[in-house]
Amino acid sequence: MTFGDLFYLAVENLWRTKLRSALTTLGVVIGVGMLVSMISFATGVQRNVTEGFKENDLFTSLEVVQKGREATALGAAVGAREDAGPVIDDSVLERVLTVPGIVLAYPEVRFPATVRMGDREARTSIQAVPLAVGQHRPFDTLAHGRFFNDESEAAAIVGERLLSELGLCVKEDVPRTWQGTPPASLRAVPVDSILGRSIEVAVPVIDAQRVVSGMMSGRIPDAPFGEHVTRLTIVAIREGGQGFEPDAIAGGVVVPMGTALRMPRLDLTSVWAALDAARGPTGYPALHARVRNADDLEPARSAIEAMGFSVVALADQLKEFRRSFLIIDALLGAIGVVAIVIAALGIVNTMVTSILERTREIGVMKAVGGGEGDIMRIFFVEAGAIGVIGGAFGVALGWAVTRVGNVVVNHYLRREGLPPADLFDMPVWLVLGAVAFSLVVTLVAGLYPALRAARVDPVAALRHE
Amino acid sequence: MTVSVVDLRKTYARGAVPVPVLHGVTFDVADGEFLSIVGRSGSGKSTLLNLVGGLDTPTGGRIVVGGRDLSRMTRAGLALHRRHTVGIVFQSWNLLASRTAIENVTLALAFGGVRRRDRVPRAAGLLESVGLGHRLTHRPSELSGGESQRVAIARALANDPSMLLADEPTGNLDSGTAAEIVALLRSLNEERGLSVIMVTHDEPAARDTSNRVLRLHDGRIVEELRPERGSG
Repeated sequence: MTFGDLFYLAVENLWRTKLRSALTTLGVVIGVGMLVSMISFATGVQRNVTEGFKENDLFTSLEVVQKGREATALGAAVGAREDAGPVIDDSVLERVLTVPGIVLAYPEVRFPATVRMGDREARTSIQAVPLAVGQHRPFDTLAHGRFFNDESEAAAIVGERLLSELGLCVKEDVPRTWQGTPPASLRAVPVDSILGRSIEVAVPVIDAQRVVSGMMSGRIPDAPFGEHVTRLTIVAIREGGQGFEPDAIAGGVVVPMGTALRMPRLDLTSVWAALDAARGPTGYPALHARVRNADDLEPARSAIEAMGFSVVALADQLKEFRRSFLIIDALLGAIGVVAIVIAALGIVNTMVTSILERTREIGVMKAVGGGEGDIMRIFFVEAGAIGVIGGAFGVALGWAVTRVGNVVVNHYLRREGLPPADLFDMPVWLVLGAVAFSLVVTLVAGLYPALRAARVDPVAALRHE
Repeated sequence: MTVSVVDLRKTYARGAVPVPVLHGVTFDVADGEFLSIVGRSGSGKSTLLNLVGGLDTPTGGRIVVGGRDLSRMTRAGLALHRRHTVGIVFQSWNLLASRTAIENVTLALAFGGVRRRDRVPRAAGLLESVGLGHRLTHRPSELSGGESQRVAIARALANDPSMLLADEPTGNLDSGTAAEIVALLRSLNEERGLSVIMVTHDEPAARDTSNRVLRLHDGRIVEELRPERGSG
């Protein structure tokens, strides 16, 4: 018997008992569909996070912080501890730049500000970057506009998020970002009408004169704060980001380092920072650095740590993510596997029934020269056919489930005013793997029935009615 | 093909009770001989045929077919024996109901390892040779008893056996049709030189057709006849 013969026989037999075959196969379809949609979700989430990391150079980003102030880097200042390490100043910056693998390093200069455009204003933070950042993510892939030309250019790069706080969104990006219409609170305007516009960046300053005059008059001054306003021209718009940008560039407005250093600023990122400042020179809160590629990260980290500083790399977080992914994958996969095992039992049941019904037929096949191997293969291929057909339709079902899931999820994302996302991933390995897995499971399920069919006693079978 | 059966015994276990069916049967079949085995129901005729056909295994004794001892064969060896050495025809035809006449024959050819494109012409030729050239695509339910048995004979001939085993081939047929089937078996015996062992109730037909008739009674050969063949 050739494989063609076996396949023909299998299909013929399945077709003869259409309803039963269909129901048995449906069990496999549901099992595989469940497994595929679950794994699709798990890999989709993983892909989104990993791609987010990759797109934003997070595998090559690191942050150098003063020992004892590690938490500052994560945004929650705890103040200087007694055992704090050396302060980060320009000499440290220069030394970090000489570490092999480091291709970029710059100090963190970030401060809060109010941004005004037209009659709208928004609270945000200003982030200063050196010109060298232009060759790195995300500034080498700006959605609209150009990077700075000059360290002290009066220019700003604004984020889409800040724009939306100012009540605007980029008309050209609407189809991609909002898949149709943006929320009613946003006005879609062409990108050209935003680029070149000027914004006012207002930073609070302590008005020394008012403080002194207040003290002289014996009254506590009610508002010793003034405002320093800088006019900047918008030269580029940065994509909103999914929350995966390095901490350094999460700010709403990015300005050239020189421009930022000319602006008077209170380090008001935290009360602690202000208190620290009172104690003496604190240097920079952190340095942001990039290595050439991900393999350089660990050696660079060791070198900088040997200099007495702490290094925080976002890649560390991905490792944590991956660990949780593994658990999620296992849980989701287990649910799918249970479904497939139930389907496999259905196959065993159907095939054992089928063998009882076809006992006489098996006897006839043996009488005309069918060997045990032939009989076994006939039933084996039958089980395998259920597996392949069930697997293929199962993948289709799983895909359909992910599409429906996506529509539902995006409906909610939209209602929350968030940009849409594709939560699922259906890589080729998943499609092929699911069909192969289904085939293997059904073959295992067919093992016992096939053996049993092969061992049918022809004399008894031919007497069987 | 010659057959040599020596002291063949077969006992079935019905529950815990052993039921002996054959008590030491010994006979030979010469190459090209037409041998009939007659006897009452339960005399062990069909069991004897199943043993020679390799469908069943003996409890004791030897069956040597074409120089090979069936009692020493593995199950796979017996399958090959059924496939290539013997062709078996049953009282109730045992055709697969879901397949047409020609498909019943091509199934046997498939087991015999005949190439796919050779099967249909060969099956059609076999069916024509048994007089069913006009019934190729009919299903068993659309065939008469005689036609069904002809399909079964064509199927038994599929893989060019040297011997035909017929277990009550006319038992379900009216006398006219029965005579046609017996005549067909005899012509196959004469024209193709096939050895034939036929188990039958129909003693007159057996005498008319066979070179030799063995009578089986309670699992023993009790009589051997050498009729004048050729009158029927």
